[in-house]
Amino acid sequence: MKLVRRVLQLAAIFGVAVALLAGPALAQGRLIVASGTDAVTLDAHYITDSPSATVAEHVIEPLFELTPDGRIVPNLAESYEVSADGLTWTLHLRKGVRFHDGTPFNAEAVKYNLERILDPANAVTFRFLISPITTVEVVDEYTVRFTTDAPFAPILAHLTHSAIGMQSPAAIERYGEDYARNPVGTGPFKFKEWQRQDYILLERNPDYWGGTPDIDEIMFRVVPEDGARMLMVQTGEAHVAVRVPPDMVSLLERDPNVNVVFTPSVRTIYIGFNTYQRADQPKNPFTDVRVRQAFNYAVDNEAINEFILGGMGRPSDAPIAPGIFGYTAIGGYEYNPAKARQLLAEAGYPNGFRVQFYSPAGRYLKDLEVAEAVQAQLSEVGIQAEIVTLEWAAYLAATNMPADENVVPMFMLGWGTVTGDADYGLYPLFHSSQWVPTGSNRAFYSNPRVDELLDLARTTPDDAVRLAAYQEAMEIIMADAPWLFLHAETQITAIRSNVEGVIIHPTERVIAGGARIR
Amino acid sequence: MSQYVLRRLALVLPVLLGVSIVVFAMVRMIPGDPARIMAGEAATQETVEMIRERLGLNKHPVVQYFIFLENLVRGDLGRSTMSRLPVLDEIKHTLPSTIQLAVAAMAIATLIGVTTGVLSAVKPNSWVDAVSMFIALVGVSMPVFWLGLMLMLLFSLHLGWFPTAGSGTWRHLVLPSITLGLSSAAIIARMTRSSMLEVLRQDYVRTARAKGVPERLVVLRHALRNALIPVVTVTGLQFGNLLGGAVLTETVFAWPGIGRLMVGAITARDYPVVQGSVLTVALGFILINLVVDVLYAYIDPTIRYD
Repeated sequence: MKLVRRVLQLAAIFGVAVALLAGPALAQGRLIVASGTDAVTLDAHYITDSPSATVAEHVIEPLFELTPDGRIVPNLAESYEVSADGLTWTLHLRKGVRFHDGTPFNAEAVKYNLERILDPANAVTFRFLISPITTVEVVDEYTVRFTTDAPFAPILAHLTHSAIGMQSPAAIERYGEDYARNPVGTGPFKFKEWQRQDYILLERNPDYWGGTPDIDEIMFRVVPEDGARMLMVQTGEAHVAVRVPPDMVSLLERDPNVNVVFTPSVRTIYIGFNTYQRADQPKNPFTDVRVRQAFNYAVDNEAINEFILGGMGRPSDAPIAPGIFGYTAIGGYEYNPAKARQLLAEAGYPNGFRVQFYSPAGRYLKDLEVAEAVQAQLSEVGIQAEIVTLEWAAYLAATNMPADENVVPMFMLGWGTVTGDADYGLYPLFHSSQWVPTGSNRAFYSNPRVDELLDLARTTPDDAVRLAAYQEAMEIIMADAPWLFLHAETQITAIRSNVEGVIIHPTERVIAGGARIR
Repeated sequence: MSQYVLRRLALVLPVLLGVSIVVFAMVRMIPGDPARIMAGEAATQETVEMIRERLGLNKHPVVQYFIFLENLVRGDLGRSTMSRLPVLDEIKHTLPSTIQLAVAAMAIATLIGVTTGVLSAVKPNSWVDAVSMFIALVGVSMPVFWLGLMLMLLFSLHLGWFPTAGSGTWRHLVLPSITLGLSSAAIIARMTRSSMLEVLRQDYVRTARAKGVPERLVVLRHALRNALIPVVTVTGLQFGNLLGGAVLTETVFAWPGIGRLMVGAITARDYPVVQGSVLTVALGFILINLVVDVLYAYIDPTIRYD
């Protein structure tokens, strides 16, 4: 019996320990957003992922705002002027705004932020968004002026990017390396608490220049498992659940307490062809445009969208998605296996060939399933594609090798044009100066006319000229087919029916500042 | 006894040193560039180079290792390359959650495991035995993510007794610890059963019965105590596994533990976090093994370590 007593004693100690370690209960007036991944950093300038950007945008604001319908509107900057030569930009700032720590928001603060991003020693990824800026000067308390080394048309669009957010200079200096978990901005919510891998808590900023938000707090809860996230919104433990898997849509739609919201994303999914002929390798079939076109004809995008994505995609008719400045429907490749076989035969591959096809697994909506469908359809025209999946870091490393070391013949990737301007969606991917590892042109695509057009559209301030240049560039790109053009993603979000005013932005962010809980 | 413990503790350092070398080398051998991951898909090569220099990744790996060791001695595990937070803080935030979960799961596992094991052994080949061992088999083979989701469906969505996922209150702990504990319970049950069956055949058990000791006391005092040694070994090993291997349960239930921290760090090639968390889990494992060895002597006074 002594042993039984001992076991009971131990059990009691366990119980007490467990009870002591557990925390307090939840509060009211709080909007809970269940997201799949934790934020990485909350220092806006260093954010490169959408979960971090979603949280940070409630706290830290950019100078201009990209509205969900794709317009650029004033935010912390009220108005601007640009000189006739397009080199000097003068911004008039909103007056009387303060950062959450009391530091005034003024021209000095803007100068500090832009210079922090521009300093190469700070290694800010999105520095390239504003890298043409050479000098930033303070004109007066609320006027700031910067100059660029060449005219740079997408600058306003780039100033809407969350990485170019305005943060308190005093806080950055005070916290040093720890600023990443103590962000201070001017936004509708103040940062309150971050329990890593668990939740981030923001509280209402009562002094917000745009009016006090309705809800007291926003909690971003990290719930990696899709099923658990959906259940939480069904039980009411969360108000919003992001990234609904397409096969759970019908289940959620039957629940009267939950609304399922579909929002187009600016993210395009594509399969890139390595078009570079290495001197030390046998002939690369993808150097032949007919082969690349044949692959496009061989794949039935409509069927993939309908049967694999459950209709949650949008088959691509251009390299970028609608809603981006510069987008025009160019027209995709129709499904035509006969034509594909004919093109392959003309190119000298009447019996097709074998090729390794790299695909991520779990990075994009149903990515591996899409890859398998493409594989099956390619086999119809004689192409034996062997799917290679790598874990993401290794995948990125493999596709990022310089041309003469790159061994990836074809690969699936996505690109989100989060600035809402075609420059960011085309220049890094198709300009010949942007071959990896310098830029993001992983297809090693090169066409002098496309280079010319992309350069022109980048430097001319005239919107009509820009639109025309992008249209011509995209027509050439579609015909040259350095990609197998797949689809643009749709974001699927589950929102409790008693919640209003949550905005799902095409740049894959949840904006809950104007939310109300009924 | 105390000498034995001291001797074992002295071995902790060399073992940790060995672990540090293996982890340090392995994490660098898998393909993938931490600077590239940190900078993101859109970064220019210039930015990536700058980050690599900043993280000290362009130094020779051996030099990097000694810098790491030097900092480690001073109690500094470095900063996460991704979040820029001190690794020690990341561990301090996640380790207690994992310990909490592992302790609760272990309590459930031991309670269920030992009870069903004893019941099965006392009436071998009866329906009690058949049912318990069938449940144990199911417990071992059931995937954690499936069991977790089923428990959520029943207890969160339909009955509303417990929260679905997350942490914060004791009620958040119930479903994950059952999910995590059940497979261990199954292993402990099977081990208890076979160990008990063996002990119950021993002469001293027959003697005890012959002299008229009530069956309940025969089982609990004479047999169970002697059958516990292998059970304690398995339980200790299971507990060590739970510390580092609870990642699936942690993921399904959004439990902010060290398993998720570790897997996230491996995915992001966050070298300092991988190194720090693996060392922590290794230390936990070593200490648990030590505790198990000491427990042997406590349970069976014939075991001596001098």
